[in-house]
Amino acid sequence: MISNDRLNRSRIFYFSLFFFFISIFSFLIFVLKDLVLPIILGILAAYISLPGVNYLKRKGIPKSLAIVILLGVFSLVVFVIGQKIVSAIPNEKENLELRVQLQYKLDQNFLALLDKTDYSSEGNFLDDLVGDELYQIFQGLNSFLVFNKHESSEFKKYIKKSMISERTLFFYNENLKHPFLSTPNSKSNKLDENTANKSKTKSASKIALFLDAISIWIILPFIFIFVLIDEGEIKSFFLGIVPNRYFEMAFTTFSNVDVAIGNYLRGTLLQSSLVGLVIFIGLTIIGFKIQAALLIGIIAGISNAIPFLGPVIGLGTGLIYAMIVEGINPIIPFIPANPIVGVLIVVVIAQFLDNAVFQPIVLGKAVNLHPLVVVIGVTGGSIIAGFWGMLLAIPTIVIFKVVISTVYRQAKAYYIIY
Amino acid sequence: MEDSIKIKSLWKDISKELLTGQKQTIVDILKTIPLLKDLSKRELKVISKFAYERSFEANEFVFEAGQPGAAMFIIKEGEIKIVKKSDNDEYLEIAVLQSGDIFGELALLDSSPRSAGALASKPTKAIAIFREDLNGLLKTHPEIGGKIMMHLAIITGQRLKTTTNHVIQMENEINKLKEQLNDKQ
Repeated sequence: MISNDRLNRSRIFYFSLFFFFISIFSFLIFVLKDLVLPIILGILAAYISLPGVNYLKRKGIPKSLAIVILLGVFSLVVFVIGQKIVSAIPNEKENLELRVQLQYKLDQNFLALLDKTDYSSEGNFLDDLVGDELYQIFQGLNSFLVFNKHESSEFKKYIKKSMISERTLFFYNENLKHPFLSTPNSKSNKLDENTANKSKTKSASKIALFLDAISIWIILPFIFIFVLIDEGEIKSFFLGIVPNRYFEMAFTTFSNVDVAIGNYLRGTLLQSSLVGLVIFIGLTIIGFKIQAALLIGIIAGISNAIPFLGPVIGLGTGLIYAMIVEGINPIIPFIPANPIVGVLIVVVIAQFLDNAVFQPIVLGKAVNLHPLVVVIGVTGGSIIAGFWGMLLAIPTIVIFKVVISTVYRQAKAYYIIY
Repeated sequence: MEDSIKIKSLWKDISKELLTGQKQTIVDILKTIPLLKDLSKRELKVISKFAYERSFEANEFVFEAGQPGAAMFIIKEGEIKIVKKSDNDEYLEIAVLQSGDIFGELALLDSSPRSAGALASKPTKAIAIFREDLNGLLKTHPEIGGKIMMHLAIITGQRLKTTTNHVIQMENEINKLKEQLNDKQ
């Protein structure tokens, strides 16, 4: 038997080592917090592509070549989609035009919803019932769209240079007629100046920002490659520091967690991709431009990983586009020409397929979380790290759940706990 | 003085390990065991990536009876006793294994509880190979996994034959004893 003296020394040694590494690790995470997201995404991408590498290996392709092929495919997909997205994102002039158009359409749709000809006239029952409340929401939406002083003068410059189409000019003039929208928002001029200054500094340091982002994100492909190249060395290292008594248990826990989390992450990715694909195809069928349909499909697909809120984000993006889009030509004749109805139908179909087909087949009941945990998790995630926090909250909770339940089960099986 | 010698020898061990590479030694050991005798050096190198070397103190359990089996062990150096607890809580020695011997190999087939415990009777180094890794190997390198499984089946079959012979022998002895008892009566 090992002497007590030695056992105590070992304990002190391992505890000191543990605290030393934990402190260094926490310090590094705090200092290098900008690198955390690219590293996590790199590891996730590698983890998700692991079966792909194994598949190529089985087909007789060397591992290094398989990794290069996968990295190439990833880069190509990101590049093509990125290019499509960038070309779909409006520049400053298009952005102002879109806002004018959206403002006009929002105005029209709001009046049509309440069956009013103008703001002073009597509306339908909806107007009597919740007219004031709806007007508050409408005003809130409009405050995002109204030009500040700087933007107003910029837009006027474009008009002078005759760079604005007649139709947008018509929308602009119509918006000016509206009492609420005619004057720039009643917020103080200071705010206007602030935004103007902000946009100036933004354009001046765009290159610096771009280089900054590139230098941080350049780590992602390296993480991807090195995690995939690993031949079990990472696992070996961690198992190497586990005491003999917990060795078999640690290995079993490690592989069970690996299988469960791998299946969950790959399942979620597949599910989100399928939802995105259905929305992309649906929007193309109802007559959206391919670029717009792709962009909305990607946003809806990614945000679909956020429970409850995800479908709302997808629907919202689709509806905003539906409000400003003109000249819709549905591919199939019997489809309603109203794009808002079209978007609603497409999103409902996508959500139905997601809940009835994709989720049960792809994810099964492997990781059932209580709705309360999901809601608190997503909200907490958004407070901690914004959009990325919301997106990664559920996978993080699932990982913790799988690790804790597996460790508990194994510790019992190996007589370590009662 | 003694301390400086200890540190020097520790450094020598570390540098030796770094320069020569530990995996090579594992391949050499794997080559000697019957379960892996049909594998080429290249194939053994693949397996060495999943081989975990562990050191056990004298009187330390490698595994205990009743625990779920996850790995097979190969003795690199030292001695292992296969033991089983008797009704009066004493350990009965079933077998004594030396370097090159394997034990716990049934864990490569399923996770059913270990039928007996394995206790290091001397400071022992053993190499562990896990069922999950072998299952993975069957997918990525079916030819290697297939060979191991084939030999595992042969070894299990041989052990079953030996056990059957033992049972027959014991039955014969019991019958003889019964006859002797009847004769005496």
